[in-house]
Amino acid sequence: MNIIIPVKQVPETSNVKMDEKTGTMIRDGVESIINPLDLYAIETGIQLKEKFGGLVTVISMGPPAAERAVKEAMAMGCDGGIVLTGKEFAGSDTWATSYALSEAIRKIGTWDLILCGERATDGDTGQVGPGIASFLDISLATYVSSVEDIDNGLMVVERLVEGGYEKLQMELPALLTVVKEISYPRLPTLRGKQKARVTEVPRWSVDSAGIDKNRIGLNGSPTRVVKIETPKVARGGKIFAAKDEESLGRAVDELVDFLVMKELI
Amino acid sequence: MKYNQVTPAIVSQLSDIVGKKYIITDEEKMSTYSHDETPPQYAHMPEAVVIPRKAEEIAEIVKLANRELIPITPRGGGTGLSGGSIPSFGGIVISFERMNSILEIDYNNMLIVVEPGVITSEINVSLEGSGLFYAGYPMSLLSCFIGGNVAEDAGGGKAIKYGVTSRYVIGLEIVTPTGEIVQLGGKLVKDVTGYNLKQLIVGSEGTLGIVTKIILKLSPMPRYMVDLLVLFKDTRSAIRLVPKIMMECGITPTSIEYMDQLSVKTTCDYLNESLPYHNAGAMLLIEVDGNKEEHVDADADLIGELCFQNEAIEVYVADNNTTRERIWSVRRNIDEALRILSPVQTDEDTVVPIAAITEFVEEIEKIAEKYNILIPSFGHAGDGNLHPTLLKNPDSTMEEWFETEEKALRDIYGLCKKLGGKITGEHGIGCKRKKYLNIVTSEAEVEMMKKIKQALDPNNIMNPGKIFDITCSS
Repeated sequence: MNIIIPVKQVPETSNVKMDEKTGTMIRDGVESIINPLDLYAIETGIQLKEKFGGLVTVISMGPPAAERAVKEAMAMGCDGGIVLTGKEFAGSDTWATSYALSEAIRKIGTWDLILCGERATDGDTGQVGPGIASFLDISLATYVSSVEDIDNGLMVVERLVEGGYEKLQMELPALLTVVKEISYPRLPTLRGKQKARVTEVPRWSVDSAGIDKNRIGLNGSPTRVVKIETPKVARGGKIFAAKDEESLGRAVDELVDFLVMKELI
Repeated sequence: MKYNQVTPAIVSQLSDIVGKKYIITDEEKMSTYSHDETPPQYAHMPEAVVIPRKAEEIAEIVKLANRELIPITPRGGGTGLSGGSIPSFGGIVISFERMNSILEIDYNNMLIVVEPGVITSEINVSLEGSGLFYAGYPMSLLSCFIGGNVAEDAGGGKAIKYGVTSRYVIGLEIVTPTGEIVQLGGKLVKDVTGYNLKQLIVGSEGTLGIVTKIILKLSPMPRYMVDLLVLFKDTRSAIRLVPKIMMECGITPTSIEYMDQLSVKTTCDYLNESLPYHNAGAMLLIEVDGNKEEHVDADADLIGELCFQNEAIEVYVADNNTTRERIWSVRRNIDEALRILSPVQTDEDTVVPIAAITEFVEEIEKIAEKYNILIPSFGHAGDGNLHPTLLKNPDSTMEEWFETEEKALRDIYGLCKKLGGKITGEHGIGCKRKKYLNIVTSEAEVEMMKKIKQALDPNNIMNPGKIFDITCSS
C-alpha cells in the first residue's frame, strides 16, 4: 500500500515572536520544524507500511529549505520525499495550496492513501487536507483517531467527534486527517538521518508538476489576509453574589445552573 | 544548642526592617517554608519568614539575630535535595522571592549581574538573541533560584563540557554571618588577590554568609546541538560506554546522561510520553554542540557509530528544539515521577571517578537485591554523578523502611568511599547527609571546616545544623 503524506514546515512555536507593529510573525532566526501535528500522520503512515508493506512518500510545498522537513520524515522511516517549490507558490492560501498539492500528488502516480496532520500549528486552519481530498475527488475522513482495518479496497477508521467516536467504513483511495490520539510519533534514528542526508530530494516546480500558474500564489488565492489582530486575552469572571443568608441559597442555585449549562457538572 | 525564640517584640523589629507586609508568622503560610524536596522527616517550621528587598535589610536582620541569638536560614526556590533551606532550629527564614532582578547584562565583559531570587531559566530568557548564554543547567531550572544554585554549587546536565555553578561565579556580594556587606571577586576572569573567598562561599550551603548579588560569567551560545538517545539491552553495556565516548572519539560531549528502564518507564507514564523503552534495559542521552552544523553532525555520527559497535540496540537523533525538549523533559522529570511511584524514598547524589561507574552501578543493583527494594538509577554518568533513588517497598512498614534505608545508605556510601568517591556531587550535605559526612571525610578535614565556620560565625546563627553540628561558642 503506497501512502502519501503532505507535511508543512512551521516555525517552532515556543520561539515565536510577534512584530508588534505589523502583527505578523517574526520568522528570522526562528528554527523551522515539521508541523508537530504532521508527525502523527507520519507515524501512522510508517506503522501502516510496516503492517501492509508499500512505500511512504512525503511531499512538502514551501521554500527550498522545506527539504529539511522532508529529510526529517525520511529519518523517521519514510521512503522518499518531494519538495514543491518556486516563487509562484508564495502567498498561496489554503485553496491554492490544496490545488497545488493535489496536482503534484496526481503526478506521483499510484497511491492508496493520503495522510495529513489535523492542522498546521501556524495557520491553524485544518483546510488543506480536506481540500486535497476534494480536488482529487476521493473519500475523506477528518479527525481520525485510529485505523482499525484495511481490506479489499475498504478501510475502517474511527474518528473523534464531539462527545464520542464514530466508526466509518470507506473506500480507498482515501485521505485521512489524524489527531494526536492515533499514535506516538517515533524519534528519527541515526541510520535514518545518515540515509536521508545522502538521498537527493527532488524539487518539483510549477511546470514539472503540471500546475496551472493562475490558480496558485497570491493571485490564484481567493482569500486575502486583510488584517491580523492579536486577541485580547480576557478571562471573564462571573460572580454569584450573596448579601445575606436568604440570597445565599439563590446564589448557589444560580452557580449550579451555570455549571450545568456549561456542562461542567 | 540553645537559641532564643522569635518573640512578638522581635517580629516587630523585623517588620521595622522589611515592612509589615513582608513578614509571615501565620502557621499555615509558614509551612511552605518548612521543607524543600527532601523527605518530610527533615522538615522543621520556622518561627518567622521575612522577605527582604535589599542587602542592607538583610544586614540589619543578621545583626538583630546575632544580638538576640536567633538562627537564620536563607531560602531560594525550595527545590533543594539535602534540606539546605530547612530551618532546622526554627528562627528566621530569609526568603529571596522579592530579590529577583536581573541587574545588568554586560555584553562587553560577557557577564550578567543578578539577584539571588532570579529563577535560573530566566537568565537565559533574558539573554535570548544575544549569542550568549549561562551554561548552568540544573534539572530544576524552571523553578530553582540562582542563589540556591550558588549555595549548593548546583551541577546539572551540561557539566561534562561546561562544569558546575562555581565555574561561572566570578563575583559575589554577601552579608556575612555578623552582618557586614562584603564584595568578593568582581568582573574579572582572573583574581588571586588573597584567599578565594567567593569560591569558599559557593557550595557553603548558606552557613558562611548570605549571597545578595551574583556576577556570572557567560559563554558564547553554540549554534547547533544534537542529542542522541541510545538504547542498550542492559545497564552494563550502557555504562561501560561512558568513558569510551570521550577517550575513543576524542569528543567532550555537553552531556552524557544515564537512565535505567524503570526511571524512563515511570517518567513516560507520568508525562504521557512514549520513548521506546520496552526493549531497552538502559539508555544514554548524549548531547554534542558546536557552531557548524556539519561538525556537530560528524561528532554525533562518530559517537553513534561507537554506540553501535558497543551493543547499542538503536540510536535516535534529536536535532531540533522540539524533539530535544521531548527527550530532555523525560530526563528532567524522573525525580518527580519516581516520587509518584513511591512517595517514600530517598534520592541520592553519589559521585565516583568516571572509570568506576560501571562497578558502582553493578554494586548498587546488588544492594537493591540484598535489601529487596527498588533502586532506579539515573543521572550525569559523564561526571560519575548518579542519583540512585531508594524506593520503599510498599509491603514494609515505615519503621522497617527507616531501618532498611539506613543500612542501604551506609552500604552505598561505603561503596563510594571504596571507589574513591563522595556522598554528594551537586545536592549538598545539608541536614540530610550530615551524619554520614565522616564516612568519606577525614576528621582533620571536618575540623578545618568547623574552624572556618566558627571564625566567620561565632554565634553559630547562620543556617545551623547543616553539613555538621557544632557547639555554640558564646
